[in-house]
Formats: sequence, C-alpha cells, structure tokens
Amino acid sequence: MKRKHSGYAKWGYIFCLPFTIAFLIFTLYPIIFTTVIGFTDCKGLGTVKFHFLVDDPFLNFKNILANPSFQKSFRNTIGMWICNFIPQIGLALLLTAWFTDNRNHIKGKGLFKVLFYMPNIITAATVAILFNALIGYPMGPVNDILMTLGITDQPINFQVNKAVARGSVSFIQFWTWYGYTMIILISGVLGISPEIFESAEVDGASRIQTFFYITIPNLKTILLFTLVTSLIGGLQMFDIPKLFLLGGPDNATLTTSVFIYNQAFSGSYLYNRASAASMIMFIIICAASAVLFFTMRDKDEAELEKLTKQQEREYRKMQKERRKSHE
Amino acid sequence: MKKRFIMLAGVCMLAGVLSGCGSGVKSGSAETGAKNESTETVAKSESTEKAETAEPSGKKVINVWAFTDEVPKMIEKYKELHPDFDYEINPTIIATTDGAYQPALDQALAAGGANAPDLYCAEAAFILKYSQGDASQYAAPYEDLGIDVAAKVKEADIAKYTMDIGTNQDNKLVALGYQATGGAFIYRRSIAKDTWGTDDPKEVGAKLGAGSNSWDSFFNAANDLKAKGYGIISGDGDIWHAVENSSDTGWIVDGKLNIDPKREEFLDLSKKLMDGGLHNDTRDWQDAWFADMKGQGSKPVLGFFGPAWLINYVMAPNSGGEKIGEGTFGDWAVCESPIGFFWGGTWVMANKDSEVKKAVGDIIQWITLDTSENGLQYMWANGTMNDAGTKDTVASGTVMSKSDGSINFLNGQNMFDVFVPANKYAKGTNLTQYDETINMYWRDQVREYTAGNKSREQAIKDFKQQVADNLDVTVE
Amino acid sequence: MNNKRGSLILKVIIYVVCVFLAILSIAPFYIMIINATRSTVQIQQHAISLLPSTYMMKNIAILLGKSFNPANGFVNSLIISTGATLCAVYFSNMTAYGLVVYNWRFRRPFFSFIMAIMMIPAQITMIGFYQMVYRIHMTNNFLMLILPAIASPSMVFFMRQYMLPSLSMEIIQAARIDGAGEFYIFNRIAMPIMKPAIATQAIFCFVSSWNNLFTPLVLLTDQKKYTMPIMVSLLRGDIYKTEYGSVYMGLALTVLPLIVVYLILSRYIISGVALGGVKG
Repeated sequence: MKRKHSGYAKWGYIFCLPFTIAFLIFTLYPIIFTTVIGFTDCKGLGTVKFHFLVDDPFLNFKNILANPSFQKSFRNTIGMWICNFIPQIGLALLLTAWFTDNRNHIKGKGLFKVLFYMPNIITAATVAILFNALIGYPMGPVNDILMTLGITDQPINFQVNKAVARGSVSFIQFWTWYGYTMIILISGVLGISPEIFESAEVDGASRIQTFFYITIPNLKTILLFTLVTSLIGGLQMFDIPKLFLLGGPDNATLTTSVFIYNQAFSGSYLYNRASAASMIMFIIICAASAVLFFTMRDKDEAELEKLTKQQEREYRKMQKERRKSHE
Repeated sequence: MKKRFIMLAGVCMLAGVLSGCGSGVKSGSAETGAKNESTETVAKSESTEKAETAEPSGKKVINVWAFTDEVPKMIEKYKELHPDFDYEINPTIIATTDGAYQPALDQALAAGGANAPDLYCAEAAFILKYSQGDASQYAAPYEDLGIDVAAKVKEADIAKYTMDIGTNQDNKLVALGYQATGGAFIYRRSIAKDTWGTDDPKEVGAKLGAGSNSWDSFFNAANDLKAKGYGIISGDGDIWHAVENSSDTGWIVDGKLNIDPKREEFLDLSKKLMDGGLHNDTRDWQDAWFADMKGQGSKPVLGFFGPAWLINYVMAPNSGGEKIGEGTFGDWAVCESPIGFFWGGTWVMANKDSEVKKAVGDIIQWITLDTSENGLQYMWANGTMNDAGTKDTVASGTVMSKSDGSINFLNGQNMFDVFVPANKYAKGTNLTQYDETINMYWRDQVREYTAGNKSREQAIKDFKQQVADNLDVTVE
Repeated sequence: MNNKRGSLILKVIIYVVCVFLAILSIAPFYIMIINATRSTVQIQQHAISLLPSTYMMKNIAILLGKSFNPANGFVNSLIISTGATLCAVYFSNMTAYGLVVYNWRFRRPFFSFIMAIMMIPAQITMIGFYQMVYRIHMTNNFLMLILPAIASPSMVFFMRQYMLPSLSMEIIQAARIDGAGEFYIFNRIAMPIMKPAIATQAIFCFVSSWNNLFTPLVLLTDQKKYTMPIMVSLLRGDIYKTEYGSVYMGLALTVLPLIVVYLILSRYIISGVALGGVKG
C-alpha cells in the first residue's frame, strides 16, 4: 500500500519540476550572482571580468550605505509611498463603507468601480509621460485650467518645484492604486458574514459605529495584506519617477530603483555598487515579506493539513473498496 | 518502511534538482563555465565565437545609431546618389534628451552580434567616451575601413579640433565630424534697433563686447535692454554653452573632478542674470525656450548664443514662419560673441566588429572627407542637401572656402562671415567623456542656487556629491 | 424625518465624490485623446479643448516620420505578453496541481517555500540577471522575457487556492481507473475546471507583462524589438523640436488598445481583482 502511494508521489515532483527549474535559473541564480557581484570590482561597460575585493569585502555595501544620494533616494521612496498610501487607504475605506452599505442604494456602483480601477490597468510609462505633459510649462493643460479659472495669472513651472514634484509622484501612485485597494476591501467586506451587519442594524448601531466596530476589525488581515504588498510595491517604484521627471528636480523624486538603474546602466556602469544597493533593498523587502508570510501562513497551513488528512482518508477508503472488490 | 520512503523521495528531489541544473536549458552550465574561466579570456572567446557564426559577406544591412534623423537622412541621400550601393539601412534613433541615447548605444555595442551598431554617431558632449574613454574599445580606426586617412584629411583641410577629439589613444583616427561648430550671438534685428538704433552686426557686436573675452559689456547691454522691457537672452542655458566651451580645463583632470574657474563663475553670472531679471528664466530645449524664438515668451528677448546649426535646425523651425516677415523669420542677424566658444557637433564612427566595414567606410568617407560638390559637406554647407535649403558650417576648410552662407532667416546676411572665424575657438581639450552627465548635475545645482533654494557653497557641495555618488570619478 | 434628510445629504455627497473621482479617472485620457487630434500650435495656445480638431492624420504622419513605429512595438509586446502569459498560466497550474493532487514528502515545505519567494521582486535581481543574459549572448532575445514567467509563485498560490475546493479527487481517481495518464488527467480534466481562475489570472499576467518597463529596458537594445513601454519612454521628447500633438498621439496609440480591452473585459477584471484580494 505504501509503495502504491509513493508511486503517485513521484508525480508531485514531476509536476513541480518546471517551476523549480525556472526558479533556479531565472530567480535564484541571478540573486546569487547579484550578491556575488556586490563583493567584487565588477564595473565598466560590457565588463564580464571581476575580482573579489579581498581587502575589504564589504566596501561596496559601506559605500552605498554612506552614499548620500542613496540615503536620499531611500527617504524619497518611503516619503512618497507614505504620502500615497495614507490617502489611498483612507479614500478606499470611505468608498468601501459607502458602497457596501445597503442603506445607501447607490446607483451605478459597477460603473464607478470600473472607472476607479481604470488607471491601474494603463501602462505606468504612459501615465508618467502623460502627466509630464499635463503639467507642462508654460502651456500645459494644468496651467491652462488654473489660468482659465483665474487661480493664477502667470503659468507656474511645476517641474522645478521639489514639493510639487514629489507630491505629483505620490498623487499619480495614489490615482493608479486607490481603485484597486477599494475593490479588494469591498470583496473583504462582502466576505464578512451578513448576519453580523444585520444584528448590528437591529441593535440600532449607526453607520459610523458599524464601520468602526464591525467592518474594520473584520478587515484586519486584508488591511495588513494591502499594507505590506503596497509597501513592497512602493519600495520598487521605478517607471513613474524614472519617466515623470527623471528623479529630479535636484534628486527630489529619485527612488532607490531609479538610483540602482542609474548606477548600473548609465554613467560609469557601476554594477558592483548597484548590486550592493540591490541586496540592501532585497533584505528590506524580505523583512517586509516575512511579516506577510507569517500572517498568511497559519491559515493556509491549517487548511492544507485538513485537506491532506481528508485526501488520505479518501485514499484509504478507496483502497479498501478496491481490495474488497478484488476479494 | 516510512524511512525508506523518505530516502527515496529525498533522492528523487535531489535528482530532480540536479537534472534541473544540468539540463538548465544549457544556459546554466554554459554560464557557470564562463564564470569559472573567470573572464580574462572571455573577451577573446567572444570575438572568435562571433567569427564562427558570422557570414562574412552575406550581410547586407547596416545598423545605424544616431540621436537625430540627420545622419540616417544623409545615408538615404547617399543611396540615392549611388544606386549601386545595395545595402539596407536599419536606423535606430534615440534622442539625447534626458541622457537616453548613451546607455542604449552602450548596451547595443556591448551586446554585439548581428544587431550591433555598424555605424554610430556621437555628440560633442560624449564623443570622448567613444573615441578615447570607456567605450573606445568598440571604435574602428578609419584606416581599417579602407580610408586613406592622411591624404584625405589634408585634401579636405579638416578642422584640427575635430581630429583631436576623434583620435584614439593609439593615435589612430576613429571619428570625424562633418560640422564645425564655432559659436556666435544670434539676435533680433528689431530689438537691437529699438534699443540702440542699429541692427548692424558690427555695431551690435561692439555693444555686447564682441571678442573682448569678458562679460562686462554684455551686462551693460543687458541693462540697456531691460530699460526697454526686453531680456537679453532666454535662459541660463544660453550663456552656459559659451561658458562651458570657453573654459581652459574640463570636468575631469587625472581622474579627479575639477571645477574650472570659468565654469564656477557660471554660478555668479547666472545669479546676476536671474536677480537682475535680465532673462525669461527658461530652460533650453523646453517649451518656454522655443517660445522665445517665436517672440512669444513673457518678454521679448534679444537673442541666443549658438553655432550655425542652431539657426537651421532649431531657430528657423521655431520662428513661427517660413518666409521673411512671418513670425520672427528674417528678423535675425549674427554677430561675434563676447566670449569665443563652440557647441556641439556630430561625429560618426564605425564598429570594429562590423561585418560591413567597407560599406560603412564608403559612407563615412562621403560624409566626413569628400570635398566634391557631390560630397555631403558641400551640400550641407550650401543648402542642396534637402528641400528646406538649410545651411551649416562644415569641418572641411576646402569646402567652406567655396561655399556661400547667405540665408533668408538672417535677412540675407552671409552667416559664414561670422561663424568661420569663430571656429578658431573650437578645441577638444576641455571635453571629457562624462560631460553630458556632469553638465546635467552642474546646471541643476546652479539652477537651485539662482532660484534661491541653496547657498553657493551648498550647491557646489551637492554637485560634488552627485558626481561622487553616481560616477566613477574621484572627488576631493 | 431628520434622519431621512441626513441620508439624503449623505447620498448627494457620495454622488458628488464619486462623479468627481470618475472625472479624475477619465480626464487625463480625454485630454490626451483630444490633443492627439490637435496641432502643436493649437495646443500651445490652449492646452485644453473639449472638442477634437482635424490634425489627427498629420500627427500620425509626424510620429511615423520620427521612426516611431507603434505597430512594431505592438507586435513585440503582444508576442512577449502572450508567451509569458501562456507559460505562467500553464506551468503555475501544473505546479498547483502537483501541490494539491499528490501527497509527497516535500509538499508542505515546497508550498511554504513558494509563499516565501512570492515577494521576490525581479528588479532586485536585475544586475545578476543582466550579467547572466549578457554572458550567454541572449540580450535582445524574447525568450529571456518569456521563460522566467514559468516560475510565478503568486500565481501558483492563487491557482492552488482555487483548485483546493473545485477539483475533486473522485474525478481524478475515476479517470485513473479508466486508465488515463497523469498528464492526460491534468490537461483534459483539471485545466478545464480551472478555466475561470485561468481567465482572471491570464488577464493580470498579460497586463503586467505588457506594462513592464524595467526588464525590457535593460535587455532589449535593438529598436526593432522594442516593446510598447520602451517606445513610450522615447516619446519624452525629440530634442530638435517639440511636437505636442504627435506626443499625445503616440501616448494615445499605446493606451487605446488597453482601454478598449479593459472596457470589454471590465466585469471579469474587477471580479478577478476581488478574488485576488480575498486570498489575504
């Protein structure tokens, strides 16, 4: 019986093999290679030669950690992410509360969802360049609106103002992602048992009370999921800062990803320094992922356990039946 | 029983992983092999590998890399004039805006293979990288392309700086430009007349301190203009090119960052212009800058610093007209600049691994060294290259001596009278391979200082920091 | 009474906010499409217009004259995105099937492992990946952009979650008794059951592959192989003259197919997003 069992087990390995191979070649090997390069002097256009830094193996890492541009890019990344995430989650929660409250009877919910989510599907590169054109100086659409409405009589050169530049990147991120967050939260609310809401209504809880005492606590896991995935995405922000204002003005919108790209693929082709910076970011992202991993793991482990047991039971049952029929 | 199963499974897993590594689409093993060889031989094996796979005579495509359509259009013209030249041209055009061209070209050169550039162009701001610096290993000497360099250069009387810049560290010529880019001041006649009662290039030049090698008269003139409600230039970018290329030393000396006093002075000049309200505070190559060429900026400005190409390829198309009297077309004239300078220029070069060297050589020779009336430079200087009839100063002295630079945009003035003498200011000694990047950092910081966001010291400090952080240059 | 008025005011507020946000979503694209039909001079005089103009064909002509070839980029992006989507969907299902159907020694560790690597971003490993691809002379090869999709941990996770309740072991056992091979069962029985999950995941995989800028930007150097986002990034400006109408036109050409597809499939996409979220 056991032998039979392992006969099928073989297929488990076979079915997971392509994934494993692709992972080894396209993810694990590059990670190791990137790490290795971080300890070498590999730099210069088209270089494949490198030597390990024997005297001071951590030279590149020290260099990066002490590098003011890297520090600045890290602060920018975090800052712009926070300025995008807080309004994003706030608005998404508000819309969720409105859309899921049956007492509101909102018409066109479906249409609104489709429209709010739309920016998320559009190529980020296009969005970045489109917004760059929109805030054009002296005659971009935004300036045109401001002047037509009489808010200002001189066109404003938004592209040279650091606060505006950072704010715009945050806004673009916010604009592309709030619809996504909202849909996820709505589906989370729909997953909460309706009886809880009904009993709350019977008990005479106000909308605000219902929201804060029932909806939010029940959304905890999903909120955490949103937070961590958004943070990981935010730490890799590349397309928009790279194409919107090229990390400028005066590095105001430089993010760590743009910094790494600039180190490795422009100027002096400092692959080693870029690798070190990548690994530093990798460690930070791993830490963030670990949080997500542990919050999600318990639930799934339990589920899998249950399923395994169930399968085993069924299998035994079947074996028994087969044996019976043989006999 | 159970133990045995675990072992079996373990072996299975291990075998799976190993076979995964082994078969790994071949790339895995080939890859690690290359790494173990640790590289000293890699460069060589690379080229032999290429030779094996190549079809030496079969290739009939020339990959051309350029940052404008100028050179690809020239090659089209070449094909038109030489019907027996049966190569196909595959142009890749990436603008230098935002420094996009260099990384793309670098990676294409490094990647090699059939898609690698055969003929590529470089601008003054980064030509040294390709002729003498980090990417010089890809450049083919002109003599390897079947060009009789010594004789041809002499016959064409090529400007010396063009050759200095295009000569590699083995003292072989690998790049030549077709333009000569000595600069002058291009001004609005109507504004000069309104301010000083004259639009004569000599007299306006005198007002600006032509050839004085000092900015004093220029600022006096700027104040005259201000009194009349005009600006003298559009933005700080306009004097930058005059400052940059009049300096004695470049950004890098012996691998270290070096700020030439003349370039440092740009901070003060720029601040003075800004605080005095003497320009429109535009950025070059942006909308507001182009608007000033049409005379549609926040106040009218007198003019722009630039070489002949600026007139033909930038100012004329942005003047808002095509005939005298339309827009600002025809309202312009050229006079000598207070400070001699040169700006820009395009150098053409060939890839040493190209499989179509002969054909590339023919094109390059026609572009850079042919002095006949069917050669590119004659057509370029005399406006017979295209329908628009644009004219430009070219590198060959022989061609310049038989060309006429009168154009309608300047109301019939012969611009060569001013630009040809200005070519003497062109030199290659203050260029470095990272100029494009470093200039970008410098000008951003100067802009921060003039806008009042930073102190002078802080701007210089931040500039140094950015260079140190992003480039392989020592900063003290 | 008071309560009723209160809820009426709330309703008005809700509609005002929603309509405002809807306009915010549409306006940039509307401005883009309208400006794509206007001349540069018109745009410079007034950057916003509610009505289209007549310069559409002229803008397209200028764009094509600048060796901007949207059709080419479109085909390249289509090849890469389709290839990557097929790889990701098929092999993720296969892995999920291996995890759900078979009981093997390392099943649980392997699943934990997949969850652990779910968040490894491709960007972080880019330097090593580029050096590897460069050494084997595979830059400019689409396979390098397609094959990595075989290992898509988050899709495996999603497929597994979907497969657990919907694939019954009885069917599989029945097929085995009928003498069907394991691959046959997977291809003919499991895959059709997974169709709804495949549809939503395929859309997301396709869109994210289509929109990816970083990897193609690093790997592709041949202009004929450029993908749509790289082409878009080149629209930032032709240094010698700013042609606004054609920049908008270029952007519009890259976005319109996406918008059209989105509006057609929006129902599935929205429910797909919702499904993806519940996994948390």
